[in-house]
Amino acid sequence: MPLDTSTYNLALLRVDGRRWNELRRINAQIRTQAAADGSSYLEMGHTKVMCVVTGPSEPGPRRGGVVGSAGGAGGGGGQSKDAEVVVNIVIAGFSSVDRKRRGRGDKRTLEMQSTVANALAASLHIHLFPHSQINVSLHVLSQDGSLLAALINAATLACVDAGIPMTDYVAACTAGSTSTYAANDESADPLLDMNHQEEQELPGLTVATMGDSDRVVALVCESRVQISRLEGMLVVGVDGCKQVREILDRVVREKGRRMIDEGTVEKGTGLNDMDVD
Amino acid sequence: MASLKRSLDSDSLAANISSKIYVRSTKSGKVQKIVREVYLRQDIPCSSRLCQTCPKSAPSDASGKLIPFVLSEAPAGTSSFPQGHYLVPDTNAFLTAMDLFEQDSAFYDVIVPQIVLEELRNRSLPLYNRLISLTKSEDKRFYVFFNEFRLETHVARQEGETVNDRNDRAVRKTVAWYAKHLAGTKAKKVPAVVMLSNDRDNLRKAKQEGIHAFSLAEYVKQLKDGEKLLDMIPDAEDRDDVKDKRPGDSLYPEYFSMSKMMTGVKNGLLHQGIFNVSPYNYLEGSIRVPAFPKALIILGRENINRSVDGDLVVVEVLPKDQWKEPSTQVIEEDAITKNENPDADDAEDVVSAKERKALQEEVKRTHSKTTEGHAQPTARVVGVIKRNWRQYVGHIDQSSVSQSAQQGRKQDTVFVIPMDKKIPKIRLRTRQVAELLGKRILVTIDAWDRSSRNPVGHFVRDLGELETKQAETEALLLEYDVQYRPFPKTVLDCLPKEGHDWRVPQDTNDPGWKDREDLRHLLICSIDPIGCQDIDDALHSRPLPNGNFEVGVHIADVSHFVKPNNAMDTEASIRATSVYLVDKRIDMLPMLLGTDLCSLKPYVERYAFSVIWELTPDANIVSAKFTKSVIKSREAFSYEQAQLRVDDDSQQDDLTKSIRTLMALSKKLKQKRLDAGALSLSSPEVKVQMESETSDPIDVKTKVLLDTMSLVEEFMLLANTSVAGRIYEAFPQTAILRRHGAPPKTNFDELANQLKVKKGLDLSVESSRALADSLDRCVDPKEPFFNTLIRIMATRCMMSAEYFCSGTQAYPEFRHYGLASEIYTHFTSPIRRYADLVAHRQLAAAIEYEPVHPSVRSRGKLEAVCKNINVRHRNAQLAGRASIAYYVGQALRGKATEEDGFVMKIFSNGFVVLVPRFGIESLIRLRDLAEVEPQAAFDAETYTLTTSGSRDVKVELFQKVRVKVTDQKDETTGKRGVKMELVKTY
Repeated sequence: MPLDTSTYNLALLRVDGRRWNELRRINAQIRTQAAADGSSYLEMGHTKVMCVVTGPSEPGPRRGGVVGSAGGAGGGGGQSKDAEVVVNIVIAGFSSVDRKRRGRGDKRTLEMQSTVANALAASLHIHLFPHSQINVSLHVLSQDGSLLAALINAATLACVDAGIPMTDYVAACTAGSTSTYAANDESADPLLDMNHQEEQELPGLTVATMGDSDRVVALVCESRVQISRLEGMLVVGVDGCKQVREILDRVVREKGRRMIDEGTVEKGTGLNDMDVD
Repeated sequence: MASLKRSLDSDSLAANISSKIYVRSTKSGKVQKIVREVYLRQDIPCSSRLCQTCPKSAPSDASGKLIPFVLSEAPAGTSSFPQGHYLVPDTNAFLTAMDLFEQDSAFYDVIVPQIVLEELRNRSLPLYNRLISLTKSEDKRFYVFFNEFRLETHVARQEGETVNDRNDRAVRKTVAWYAKHLAGTKAKKVPAVVMLSNDRDNLRKAKQEGIHAFSLAEYVKQLKDGEKLLDMIPDAEDRDDVKDKRPGDSLYPEYFSMSKMMTGVKNGLLHQGIFNVSPYNYLEGSIRVPAFPKALIILGRENINRSVDGDLVVVEVLPKDQWKEPSTQVIEEDAITKNENPDADDAEDVVSAKERKALQEEVKRTHSKTTEGHAQPTARVVGVIKRNWRQYVGHIDQSSVSQSAQQGRKQDTVFVIPMDKKIPKIRLRTRQVAELLGKRILVTIDAWDRSSRNPVGHFVRDLGELETKQAETEALLLEYDVQYRPFPKTVLDCLPKEGHDWRVPQDTNDPGWKDREDLRHLLICSIDPIGCQDIDDALHSRPLPNGNFEVGVHIADVSHFVKPNNAMDTEASIRATSVYLVDKRIDMLPMLLGTDLCSLKPYVERYAFSVIWELTPDANIVSAKFTKSVIKSREAFSYEQAQLRVDDDSQQDDLTKSIRTLMALSKKLKQKRLDAGALSLSSPEVKVQMESETSDPIDVKTKVLLDTMSLVEEFMLLANTSVAGRIYEAFPQTAILRRHGAPPKTNFDELANQLKVKKGLDLSVESSRALADSLDRCVDPKEPFFNTLIRIMATRCMMSAEYFCSGTQAYPEFRHYGLASEIYTHFTSPIRRYADLVAHRQLAAAIEYEPVHPSVRSRGKLEAVCKNINVRHRNAQLAGRASIAYYVGQALRGKATEEDGFVMKIFSNGFVVLVPRFGIESLIRLRDLAEVEPQAAFDAETYTLTTSGSRDVKVELFQKVRVKVTDQKDETTGKRGVKMELVKTY
């Protein structure tokens, strides 16, 4: 069994060989499901998620209990002025080490649904689609830490693919700290992009920002951490979000270029504003 | 239609990403397959100061700091590598000879491959921790090289390759890479990179690949003081050979497999517990298991089956016809196995004829009586879950040394007799027999095979000549695991920069004064033993206008200086307590704090943590207040001085009056406590008087009890109880408290029966009150000491008090039995006890003086702290007692005195006498009574031993006897101890 996170100070290396400020390998594709309005597949290390976006469309009959409504933007179902972002997360039983089934009413899943919905609603121009619904289905295929961040990133890509107008990418990542809460180590380094083992052993938070700006649209911290360490973690997290945005942007542009090359779309039609170099 | 291709193939960086796949099994037996990412990189430095390329790409942490390079540019050489060398040990090397790497004379510049660290962690956590502390020490220059993350040294497991082979290959690859890397540095003298391993296969492969590789023994031989170090390598290979030679020739029964034991324990067929050896009979052990109210007895070598005192073992209960009474006979290992030959393993049987005879008499005795009810269940050990082996202090058994070994440097096998009588003799192979004879040495046990009668160990360190003060003190500290090394620099760095010039700031706006009450105007004084330097507590009292009294207890504010989780705090939490030996004090905190800055010395201002009560003249508490304060002690009294002052009516100053007030109140407090059922217990306490110049012991005095001692004690108890209530109120889950469990009634069975039979007295043990009362009734009008004797014996039936974290027990369990207090903690000695320091922090947080620090409210952490301080506390007590015993022996050296003593315990072949004058007890065996061992008849019912033949005496329990006390060097332990001879019975 490999070492744990306490050996970081020996050589400034994390349990998987990264430095404190390095992201894991992020790999993403968009338009993976031709039949869907928008779709994406995203890997952050061994965390693998896929996303399918349907809509904006007329609100259908509500599916019981799985609606994560976009907080302030929502309101009276399909009758509101804004579109409703409905997020549905399915965590596959085989996604973690122990095979376990999560029920539909799982509190953690519900909370993640609402966090993703709120983060997306901040960027999507939902006021353009009154009385309609945007359905975001997320499927978790494999989990290895930073799950919420991966879900937000995948949902962003799928929304881009669906062509829903939005202000900017919503990019997310996690940040942690190299020593435990109880150790109370003032000089602990912040960590970028935590994997499962680090999440288990160290304090951490998930942060999502709006594109290039420092505007934080989601911030979740579920572990105990000294307030003095929080700032450093947040700075590293926001910086990581910018790196993630670059990666997402590259994925979209790459796909766009390929579609033009393949002749799926003509250069200039609908993509005329886009600089595809 | 897009397809989801495997993303890794399309990735340009694919070569740098690998994964680690392994299988682990959880506690519940589930098997999990874990896949982890591994990022390979090229910026992991070699950390050699010779290298010019690595520093360029060396990593820095978030604040831009670089890790300094550790491996020396001019490492030490050996005979084969005059140009110098770096060492790369494999896991095996650390597992077998960690002691070697901790040597000061060699083993510098060591590269520890990450894979070795990982393997070591899986195999032995203590060794892993020792290695980690080596890597942190600056002068040893150990460097952990993360070979698994470096692109060039990462190896993937090949098909059909075992994990061990793969790991060995990884180590070899690291060695090869280092050699190549260093060759490129253009240094004048390129150090060789040498692999150390005891694995023959690994060595062979290394030679094939052209890597420098040695076994530990081969390597050590090349060093200057190699011969000495050689002893520290356990002969793993040799032992294997022995095993191969005689596979069928096992002396002990085989252990059950782990799974068999686990299922057995689960089903209740087998029992698990800590194995304890009887202090009087090395062939008898006992084990407490939850399933039975009384301890199970384990008799005989075969049943004990290689367990050593303290091991966690699994036992099987023997059939009823083998049940026995606990032994009434003294059996000492040296007397019976005196002539065993350490070389001869093929002795006829595991149980020698003599041992058998000793046991046989036991059985005869049990059978001769028809009192079946007395027989206790016996058991045999079927397996060991966890060894509790540590390092043992001992000396070489002179008689086990052959003549040739005393002269030559030939490797010889000898017996080491540990100081702790409960530990069996350890077989040791050494080349330095001649040098080590007559010395205190430190050894460890390596293994205990079925084929070997005694455990096999290796030599660690030589402490010095037997009976020299330094060697004996160090031996004592090692034996009780007391941390006695000087404080490391990191700890001293935490001290205030001003050093001894530190003063309480004059300006009351200084941050140090925040929320502190100014109590400098109060007439505060301290009362302590003579020569006390670490003054923890001081007191004051003054009358209030309403007729009540204000009483204050002021405790040194250690938590102001020792902040949680810094190096000093960590060190203190490990030491847990100061240890007081006769001639030496091992401090928990550095001297500067303990004896100066924290110590409430007279005439200077000091920070304190004060508890202030309003007490009615009847000593009832009206109110209690806790506050941080600044005080100025007016005088530091010794108990004697204070007593004189109180007794001297001509002294009418305010300070003396306030002490008198305190005295009056303390007596009322004590009465209240006794009424509530507090026990007044006793232990034979003496003080060794030393000559002031040479600090040689000259005389032994029994301690005198003064009223002033009980004064201080009462107020400390009151403070502790008040604080306990307050922190429990603030932190119901995590308050650090001290409890003293009510002893099980069965503990007193024997004593009650003895009293009934011998003196016709009743001992009632229903409650502490009942016990206290019945102890008061245990008096013998003719013999004033009798009551004390009974109290001493009753004390030994008690449980020991322990620290605990309030969340782990239900409230009724908090009770302190001895003090008859519902809740109790330690608050009043933070300079010398860590528990008090934690209580200080909790109280400071409870009164909102400072924010709650996570370390004082994390239950898991506190539990670990409690566990440690409980052990350390006990060890410190034992070490203190052992030190007194040693010095009493030294003080009696060459003298012979006749003293009165009392019979405390009686066996069929001897009895134990306590001499109150010296506070010592000693065994008098039948064979000590006369030249020819007299015949003896032992009546267990009436606790009477009657001898006939060469000497006629009748010895009874509790009897007063006259004994001649002389000093004698104990052959077994090498300790100078007292020897008693019976002069006459009264």
